[in-house]
Amino acid sequence: MAVMGRRRVMFNYRVLAVIKRELREKLFSKAFIFMTLLVPGFMILILGIQALLYTSETKNLKIDIISETSGMTTAFQNEMSTADLVKNGNYVFSYLTMSRDEVKNYLNEKKLMLLDEKIGGIVYIPASAMKDKKVEYYSKSSKNITLFRELGGPINNTLINFYFNNKSLSKDDLDFARINVDFTGFKVSKEEGFKEEGYGNLVLAYLFTFLLYFSMIMIGQMTMQSVIEEKGNRIVEVILSSVSPTELMTGKILGASLTGVIQMAIWLSPIILIMSTSIFMLPKEFVFSISSTVIIYMLINFFIGLLTFIGLYAMLGAIFDNPQDAASGAMPLLMLIMIPFFIAMSMMDNPNRPIAEIASLFPFASIIVMPARMTLVGVPMWHLGLAILINIVTFIAIFPVAGKIYRIGILRTGKKPKWSEVVKWLKYKY
Amino acid sequence: MYALEVKNLTKTFEKVVAVDNATFEVPEGSIFGLIGRNGAGKTTTIRMMMGIYLPDNGEVVLRGVKVGQEFKNQVGYLPEERGLYKKMKVLETLLYFAELKGKSGREVQKKAEEYLKRFELYDRRLSKMEDLSKGNQQKIQFLTTILHDPEFIILDEPFSGLDPINTNLLKDIIMEKKQEGKVVIFSTHLMDFAEKMCDHIVMIDHGKVILKGSLKEIKSNYAQKNVSLTYDGDISFLKSHPIVERIADYGNTTGIRLKDANQTQQLLKLLVERNILVKKFDANDISLQEIFIELAGNEDGSNGKEARNV
Repeated sequence: MAVMGRRRVMFNYRVLAVIKRELREKLFSKAFIFMTLLVPGFMILILGIQALLYTSETKNLKIDIISETSGMTTAFQNEMSTADLVKNGNYVFSYLTMSRDEVKNYLNEKKLMLLDEKIGGIVYIPASAMKDKKVEYYSKSSKNITLFRELGGPINNTLINFYFNNKSLSKDDLDFARINVDFTGFKVSKEEGFKEEGYGNLVLAYLFTFLLYFSMIMIGQMTMQSVIEEKGNRIVEVILSSVSPTELMTGKILGASLTGVIQMAIWLSPIILIMSTSIFMLPKEFVFSISSTVIIYMLINFFIGLLTFIGLYAMLGAIFDNPQDAASGAMPLLMLIMIPFFIAMSMMDNPNRPIAEIASLFPFASIIVMPARMTLVGVPMWHLGLAILINIVTFIAIFPVAGKIYRIGILRTGKKPKWSEVVKWLKYKY
Repeated sequence: MYALEVKNLTKTFEKVVAVDNATFEVPEGSIFGLIGRNGAGKTTTIRMMMGIYLPDNGEVVLRGVKVGQEFKNQVGYLPEERGLYKKMKVLETLLYFAELKGKSGREVQKKAEEYLKRFELYDRRLSKMEDLSKGNQQKIQFLTTILHDPEFIILDEPFSGLDPINTNLLKDIIMEKKQEGKVVIFSTHLMDFAEKMCDHIVMIDHGKVILKGSLKEIKSNYAQKNVSLTYDGDISFLKSHPIVERIADYGNTTGIRLKDANQTQQLLKLLVERNILVKKFDANDISLQEIFIELAGNEDGSNGKEARNV
């Protein structure tokens, strides 16, 4: 009869009432709303700052380009007029022709302006550059890597043009000689054959990893806090006069896990939006291609994994009666989230690491690692099924243990129990 | 027919026997008192009755059937240590606890609002619990206990920490529920309350039932040979008098236990002869407090003396 009672418990109006309360409490809490909006905002901010650092560090920087021969000056002017770095307005170039001695005087003349950064820099291309491609750069900061990288191409082009001008080579020959080797990545997968791929999926894998990590820690902590509150306030006794501890824990776990899935769905909605419409144009390098199964799978696997995690967090909340003790008690659990996180991160430069494959099937780890793996490489269907199955089995194995410790811990007061005592609880009859 | 039967309940916590083979019966429609000093095992007994603790041994029977979820649905329970969700709103809290008992919808909401009006808290229904005064939080806690109209109301030390207004409010509710035919069970270490309100009691000490039954019968059994006296003067001569078995001083009144029930007239005569000013002479009367001390104090007498000496 006891067994039947326990079975019957899994879902009824009492569990439903607990779930509803958990959802209401969490979804409308300031912390949840704040974090749910803040995390994507934070990510956009980081991306934005990076983009900003690359683009606008040199706005309207005045650069003088001085060649020793007037022919070269004209050639530069022609070449630079089509270069990107002039068009996007980061630099303003002036083109001059001077001999070596004249440049010396010119530099002395402009020294103050260089120091005041009224002139960003002076590039001198002597006639000897036609032999050794050595170019001089005068500036307050003489190692402007960005400028060298950006200016290197056009200068090289001009020099090559100039050099080969008198030799009998066609323009096509020249163009070919100038082209660098360009790797194009093709993703090989069973479903779609060979498919060209940019960095979009890599960015997406990062994003998934971060979001899953954030959400798991946040929802877990929230659940632990709420259990500690119930225990500390002794509300739990009133609740237990209506529901069984198993019902209460089931309700809490389901409520919190649903909260996590809702949060994740909110975070993923921009990606779903980009996938399902063509309104949003991503820069070519960031176009990603994942099938919608990745998103659906991610949410399902996340939900199942959360059930176990939240169960363990609830158990911890029941063992301890203050947040400080609970925080230190939660360290091992935190490891179960952080280690998969780092494994997923290590996949970014080589998604085929064996450890990634193992972790993507491992209980707890698969929640974070599998979505990243799916995004980066093709994963066989049976792996996906197996990961979910393993997570379900883990939940079934852990729930009774966590539930028992929860039932006993939730009514205990007094001093902080040792782990050895907690193990003894498993033998108690409650 | 008993509404609730507690049979041989036993609970041990790490070698300490909290409740030891407790057996008692709660009659239908009664106000039932669970009496004992702090730490006697009252709360553990109640928690086992509520199914919060599983007993090591014994069972609780509700009208012939072992208690289970069915019983939980019919009970309103006020635990000794009280608390509600701080961030939850008043009305929301009431509806949530009713919902856990399977009562939801417009009817409960209407009832909750009526109660709030009666308790003068209607205009606070949308306030968070933490914004309410302690007294008002207590009121809300009573309401969560009775809103779903339970058949059984179990209150663990309901009067501890209550201000006088809330104490009266709670008394009114208990009496009202009795009139509606509900069973009210409460535990207390305050004998006054038990004496004034209970029809039946069970007295627990060191986890054991030391006395149970109808309060009236218990009192009449113990009241014979007993005189409660209020006086002015010196009655120390009675201590060694042959008709007196024992004298106990309860502050305002003194309880005198005689060796024989028909010696009361003789006692009164003695007092008058000795020029003691008798203000109140109540023969065959005994307070629950006296019974309690007589029963629980015996076994514990030496401890009591030690404590006093310290």
